[in-house]
Amino acid sequence: MPPGLDNLKHIVVLMMENRSFDHMLGSLKAVNPQIDGVTDQLSNPDTTGAPVKPQPLAEFQGQLLPDPDHHFPAVDLQIFGGDTSPGRVANMQGFVKSYFNQQRDVGHSQKIMYYFSQDQLPVLTTLALEFAVFNRWFASIPGPTICNRAFAHYGTSFGRVDMNPFDVIEPFKSIYSRLIAANPQRTAKVYYYDTTSSTMEVVNLLQNEPELFGTFNQFLQDCDKGNLPDYSFIEPNYSDHDTDAGEEVANDQHPDHNVQAGELFIAQVYGAIKSNTNLWASTALLVVYDEHGGIYDHVVPPGCPADKFTAAANDTGTGMEFKFDRLGVRVPAILISPWIKKGTVVVDRTFDHASIPATVTKFFLGDYVPRSPRETSADVFIEPNTGAVDPARNLLSLDTMRTDCPDFDV
Amino acid sequence: MPIIHVPRPPQRSMDPDRPVNLLLKNQAEHLQHAERRLPLKYRSKIYVKAIKTEGEAARYIREVTEAIHAAHADAAAQRARRVPKRKSGLEIAAAGELPGKKRKTAGKARKSSGKSGRKK
Repeated sequence: MPPGLDNLKHIVVLMMENRSFDHMLGSLKAVNPQIDGVTDQLSNPDTTGAPVKPQPLAEFQGQLLPDPDHHFPAVDLQIFGGDTSPGRVANMQGFVKSYFNQQRDVGHSQKIMYYFSQDQLPVLTTLALEFAVFNRWFASIPGPTICNRAFAHYGTSFGRVDMNPFDVIEPFKSIYSRLIAANPQRTAKVYYYDTTSSTMEVVNLLQNEPELFGTFNQFLQDCDKGNLPDYSFIEPNYSDHDTDAGEEVANDQHPDHNVQAGELFIAQVYGAIKSNTNLWASTALLVVYDEHGGIYDHVVPPGCPADKFTAAANDTGTGMEFKFDRLGVRVPAILISPWIKKGTVVVDRTFDHASIPATVTKFFLGDYVPRSPRETSADVFIEPNTGAVDPARNLLSLDTMRTDCPDFDV
Repeated sequence: MPIIHVPRPPQRSMDPDRPVNLLLKNQAEHLQHAERRLPLKYRSKIYVKAIKTEGEAARYIREVTEAIHAAHADAAAQRARRVPKRKSGLEIAAAGELPGKKRKTAGKARKSSGKSGRKK
C-alpha cells in the first residue's frame, strides 16, 4: 500500500464560487505546457462577428458587473454558440454573445474573455503548480450553483437545473448521512463560514440535520487540536457582513466579490491543515469551484452517462429536456497533499462534482448502494486503500512526504 | 522555500450596501422555505421580498439559520427533560393481582361498599 494512501485519514473539500478554469488558471499554460490553459489561438465572436481573444486583463473586483449569467439557458448559449438544432455540436463560442445579452454593450461583453495573470493569484497558481491540477474537472451540470453543489453532497441534483428549493428523493442519501450511518460509524462535517454566511444546502441538510454544521472558526480549532472528522466540506463566506468581531469580507470569489479575499481564504484553509504536522501527513485537500459563473473556458464539456432523473423541457428554459448526460463548463480543481509529486497534471481523466461523494464513499465505506447513476460512473480522485492500487491512477504516489511544500503569510 | 506573500483585499472591497446578488437572493428564499416550517416563536420579522442589499440578506440569513439551530436545540432539550409516564390505576391494580382470582366489576364493587351517588 502506498504510504500516502496508508496514512490518509481525512479528506477535506473546499468549494469556491463561479470562476472558470481558463479565467483562474489559464495563464499557467505558459509555465507548464501540460496545463490546458489559454493560447493565442482561442477566441469567441462578439455580436459584430469580430473575434475576441482571451487577455490577462481580469480585475479583482468591479469588472464583471452585471454578474455573468450562469443559468441553464445562458450556459447552453455559451457552450453551443446559439445553435439549437438537433445534432448540434458544442463549440464554446457563445460566451461574449451571452454576456452581451445582459447589458447590450459590445466593449463590456468582451471582458468575459479576460483571465488572471499568474502573479495576480499567488495562492491558487502556486498550489496548482506545486500539487495536482486537474485538466478535466467540470461542473456537474451546465447550470447554476445549487444544482452543482447538490452533486457534491448527493451525487445528483434530483433532476433539477434551477435554483429553487428541492427535497431529496430517496433512496439517494447525502455523503454525510452515509458516513454517519456506517458501521463502524464515520465522521463528517460541513463547515460554513459563520451563521451569517450559512450554507447553500438549507432545505435538506440545515433544516433536517443542523448538527452536521460547524463554523470556520471551529474548523481552525479542529485542525489545531487534530479533531478534524473523516470528511469535511468547507463553504466560503458568501456575503460582506458585520459581526461582533468586526467586518467580514465575502471570500467566495463569486462576482462581484473581491478575488483577493478568496485567495486569502484558500491560503488560510491550506495553512490550518499544514500547521498541524500530523494532520498534514494524513489529509488530502481538494480546492474546487462549483461552476464557471458564465466566464469563458475553451474546453468542450464531454457527455457522460445519464442520471436517473430528467429535467423537463419547460423546466430547463431552453425548450429542450435535459437528461444530465452532458457536464458543465470546466472549473479549477487542485488536490493538495504532501504525498503528491510536485507539478502533477491530471490529464485524460474526466471528473465532476459527483466524483466527490464517489471518492469519499469508496475510500471510507467501500462498496455502497444505492448511489445515483452519475455518481456510480464518476471517476475518483483518491484511490481506495483496500486491495491493489493502480500506480497510474494514484495521485498520492510519493514514497516519502515532501518537505518543500509552500507556505503563505496568513 | 520562502514564504509567499498574499496581498490583502483593500478596505473599499467591503460593501454591505452592494445590491444583493442572485445567489444570496436564492439562499434567502431557501431559508424562507425552511422558516415557514418553523413554529411562530422562531420566525423572523423580516420580509424577504424587501431585501435589496447584501447586508440585509446577511441579517436575514443569520436570523433564520440561528433559529433553525435553536429550534432543534430546544427540541433536544425537551427530549432530555421528558418525565417518565405515570401508571394508571388499572395498571397498578393489575400489577398486584394474584393469579386465578377474579376481579370484581366496578358496579358490584360499588354495591358491596354500600356507597352510592344517588339517594334511595
